[in-house]
Amino acid sequence: MWSYIVRKLVYNVPVYLGIILLTMAALRVRDPVAGYLGKNATQEQIDRLTQDMGLDRPFYEQYGKFLWQIVRLDFSEESWAQRGRTVKQILIDAIPPSMSITVPSVVASAFIALVVSLISAYFRGRLIDRTLVFFAVLGMSISYLVYIIFGQFFGAFLPLHQQWEFTPFAIQGYEAWTSWSHLSVLGLNIPYPNGIKFENWIEYCMLPVIIGVIVAMGYDTRFYRAVMVEESNKDYIVTAMAKGASKPKIMFVHMLKNAMIPIITRIMATLPFLITGSILLEMYFNIPGMGRELITALIANDFPVIQAFVSVLALLFILSIILTDVLYALVDPRVRLS
Amino acid sequence: MIVKLIKSRGMRRFSRNRLAMFSLAVIIVYFLTAIAVMLGAVSRDDTKERVGPNRLPGFLEPIGAEKRYDFDKWWVSELTNVFERAARENARAGGDPRAVLDEFALAERTIADGSYEDLKPAFDAMTEAWHELDDVFAEQLDLDDEAFAIRDEIKELQAEGEDVADLQAELEEVEALLAELAPRAEALYQQVEANIEKLLPMPSGFAGLVYSLRTMLGTDSKGASIAAQAVYSIKIAFQVGFVTALVAVLIGTISGAAAAYFGGWVDHAVLWVVSTLSSIPYLVLLAVFVYAFQAPALAEWFNNPERPALALVPLYAAFGLTFWIGTCRVVRGEVLKIKELEYVQAATALGFGRFYILLRHIIPNTAHLMFINFSLLFIGAIKSEVILTFLGLGVKGQPSWGIMISHGADGVTNFFFWEVGAATVFMFVLVLAFNIVSDALQDAFDPKHV
Amino acid sequence: MTNAPDAKPVLQVRHLTTSFRTDDGIVTAVDDVSFDVFAGETLGVVGESGCGKTVTSKSIMRLLPEHLTIYGEQSEVIFEGKNIIRANEREMRKIRGDKIAMIFQEPMTSLNPVFTVGWQLDEALKYHTNLSRKQRREKAIEMLRLVEIPNPERRIHEYPHQLSGGMRQRVMIAMALCCEPDILIADEPTTALDVTIQAQILDLMNGLKEKLHTAIMLITHDLGVVAQVCDRVMVMYAGRAIEFGSVREIFHEPQHPYTNALLESIPKRGSRRSRSRRLPTIPGIVPSLRNLPKGCRFNDRCPACQQRCIDEEPELINHSLDRPVRCHFPLNQKTQTESAH
Repeated sequence: MWSYIVRKLVYNVPVYLGIILLTMAALRVRDPVAGYLGKNATQEQIDRLTQDMGLDRPFYEQYGKFLWQIVRLDFSEESWAQRGRTVKQILIDAIPPSMSITVPSVVASAFIALVVSLISAYFRGRLIDRTLVFFAVLGMSISYLVYIIFGQFFGAFLPLHQQWEFTPFAIQGYEAWTSWSHLSVLGLNIPYPNGIKFENWIEYCMLPVIIGVIVAMGYDTRFYRAVMVEESNKDYIVTAMAKGASKPKIMFVHMLKNAMIPIITRIMATLPFLITGSILLEMYFNIPGMGRELITALIANDFPVIQAFVSVLALLFILSIILTDVLYALVDPRVRLS
Repeated sequence: MIVKLIKSRGMRRFSRNRLAMFSLAVIIVYFLTAIAVMLGAVSRDDTKERVGPNRLPGFLEPIGAEKRYDFDKWWVSELTNVFERAARENARAGGDPRAVLDEFALAERTIADGSYEDLKPAFDAMTEAWHELDDVFAEQLDLDDEAFAIRDEIKELQAEGEDVADLQAELEEVEALLAELAPRAEALYQQVEANIEKLLPMPSGFAGLVYSLRTMLGTDSKGASIAAQAVYSIKIAFQVGFVTALVAVLIGTISGAAAAYFGGWVDHAVLWVVSTLSSIPYLVLLAVFVYAFQAPALAEWFNNPERPALALVPLYAAFGLTFWIGTCRVVRGEVLKIKELEYVQAATALGFGRFYILLRHIIPNTAHLMFINFSLLFIGAIKSEVILTFLGLGVKGQPSWGIMISHGADGVTNFFFWEVGAATVFMFVLVLAFNIVSDALQDAFDPKHV
Repeated sequence: MTNAPDAKPVLQVRHLTTSFRTDDGIVTAVDDVSFDVFAGETLGVVGESGCGKTVTSKSIMRLLPEHLTIYGEQSEVIFEGKNIIRANEREMRKIRGDKIAMIFQEPMTSLNPVFTVGWQLDEALKYHTNLSRKQRREKAIEMLRLVEIPNPERRIHEYPHQLSGGMRQRVMIAMALCCEPDILIADEPTTALDVTIQAQILDLMNGLKEKLHTAIMLITHDLGVVAQVCDRVMVMYAGRAIEFGSVREIFHEPQHPYTNALLESIPKRGSRRSRSRRLPTIPGIVPSLRNLPKGCRFNDRCPACQQRCIDEEPELINHSLDRPVRCHFPLNQKTQTESAH
């Protein structure tokens, strides 16, 4: 098992080096300094900032330096757009808001989609299945943005505007989970989120979560159902039937355990998004998470933030892929021992 | 290759799926519309031209009292503007007031024929009626406020269990006054509107048809036709979808097939690129590519107003560079299977060249995958365009569904749904049709994978 | 090898007609097939692929997707005095695996990859016996030993992918036989295996048949396998049963031209023909079930086809004594019975 994990880690090193290379190159296609300072900047200003960032050095030197930064997780440069804050600070502050949206929405959508797709697969070919599939396709055909616009309108704006009795959701904003505290255990500073209030969470996060779940529902249900149906066509299902197993036994024991392998992979593949957050939801609901910070940085040409964010996101992504593979090996006996 | 695909069993099964055939017809209608737009049926100017007041609702929605006032006010002020300029021109020796009147046009809707003097009485009548209406309207508003306040008070007192008879009487009085005002206001509205119609008559015949089509879905926050924008956006959607899906499918198929067929270092290299690109969250990757293409030198080149088609190139490039990954994976898997089939082995044994086998025997057998992926990527491109545009990284300077949705989002909180609604419906129908077609294709070629 | 089956039949199939709803309308895969399976015998069902062998066996077990399958009005599968083609799902579950068991062609995919061999053996016992967990485990080990798997105590903790194809088929057989069924339906059990393993598995099945007194319905396209293990043979073609007989009769005096052609296409060691001439093949292909020829279904491939074969489909008739055959002009008739015309 350990050798498997190590092998996976080693295999992904060149991939990660490639990502950094690609990111750094893509961000240098245009001159970041000139872009940030605008047309009115003097040559002197440009030169100074270029020197500060080390952008005048040869590319391989910058590459090495940045890699060394990533190894030490040291992002202590100052942000260009948000004066006085280091990249690291921005990064750390953005994680809790993102997670307070994504964790509940991934958990809820995985669970609901699993239940719905099981129903669909159980009644395969019947009316109920066709109806569910039809709604899944219908749901998939509507733009994410439209869900958000109308979700906000009907979930928050209209109740507040019409002064209904029940107005649980704020139109936008975020005041749920703002800061980190540190707990000192055995000389280690363990951060934990501070100031969680459940009412606040409902007010600011619940509506985005609901929208996220609804959007994910179409894709997830269809995917899970396809996996389940594919497993239902396998020979071992007929064997189990020939043994005298009941349909629920076949569906929930024989089929589901096999179907869980690709389904877990899929859920794991969304893990990095737990941290990156949903860019659109954060933008629209003004939630200061990772996605929002990144897009704001892109629009404001905040070069240090963009570079660090993309690299960290990719790192998390790769780690989650490795984690998926390991989990896969744990679930699927065929992988474990080969 | 295409003929072979059309004759294949999967295609026959596909053609028997009625819903899919209907969806295909819908896609064709969209496609023909896109061609018509390209040939100039709806120009970019049409999408920008003012055709009426801001945020005019579409054909079905009745206009409420408050909105009626606002819209009439807009017409009156536009006309006043024109007529004042014409009056100045008229006063100037040798001036030509008619020329000033002719300058004013809302697309097909122009000021009525006749000299300035002929039209002046109607204008004066309109202005007069409008001033009166203004007063009546202000009075109505005051009374409304009063009634509202009284009702509030009644509610409060009732909650405390006190007697509200006095207030009830007062309320009835106010309501009676309001009821008295209503027919008067209505008469004035009709008078104003009749005169507006006289000055700016609805065009008749073909021009009238065109104008009513323009205003059919209402106008946006700048008074431009929503219908024209929605239709013009079909072209943009097809441009973005077609170009990116084509580029992505070609890159994906060739790289995937080559990786699987040649193996060795080719496979390693392709897999490395694929896993690298897929290790960056897709939206982030897209955003970074778009960012890179906004370099000043590039941006200047692409955003040249003389070559509007070029403005979409950064978007094509960003989509094309990200979308091929999925296709590459699928094709690679399929080619690994095909490679082991007897006929390929036989071709190899007969000594055909490797490139010949790849092009002649392997890639044609991935045609159905290319079609399915094309259709999926088409949808992906249209949907991503909307999202990127909303984030400020997408289409600029041309109408697109993304622009319409992100512009119209403000309107929604003012209960104006036409802009978002029109873009959503136009997009929804196309995406749904594509979804159904690609589902049917998948079913037809891989019946087990339902 | 007994020619005339001794006891009463354990399974009677009468007028079995199985159709499927497909995109192209209703397709009949098995058309009016009747036969008996007698206790302790091995009945071979022979035919080319697509002739309805597997559908016949799955119809008996009712393993076909219920909402797509239509059984003919007159179809009867009588087991223990009951017509199980009309039995409900619960009654069927009690029969499957307990009274009638089945093994399949692909040992590679027929076992569930994510459960251990022991778990899968245990499952059948759990459904059909009242044994305790420990007893079931012992029974499972005993069954694995019976199918000659070495080290059964260790094997029950292993997953299917850790076993070879032959081993997996042995596990399938152990699983099928662990409740001591009356009938074992084996659907091409050796097709996917190496020749040497094939022989071992067939020997094993033969031995177990004697030991457990189970009737076997062996479905195969391999006449070699039939010769090795079967007592009686039913030959199927395009959804119809076309000839019945003992193995000896079928091999020595085939009456249907199709059976004859099948036999001709087996290479025979030592025969003059195999050295000098090409192996004869049956021209043409099995007709599509969607598009069956009028008259005899074999008429377009039959060397002795006559006008009558094209006009009318032959009935299944005893031309010789107790040798039903579906042909107007059967071959090799010894005692022509002058029955009614």
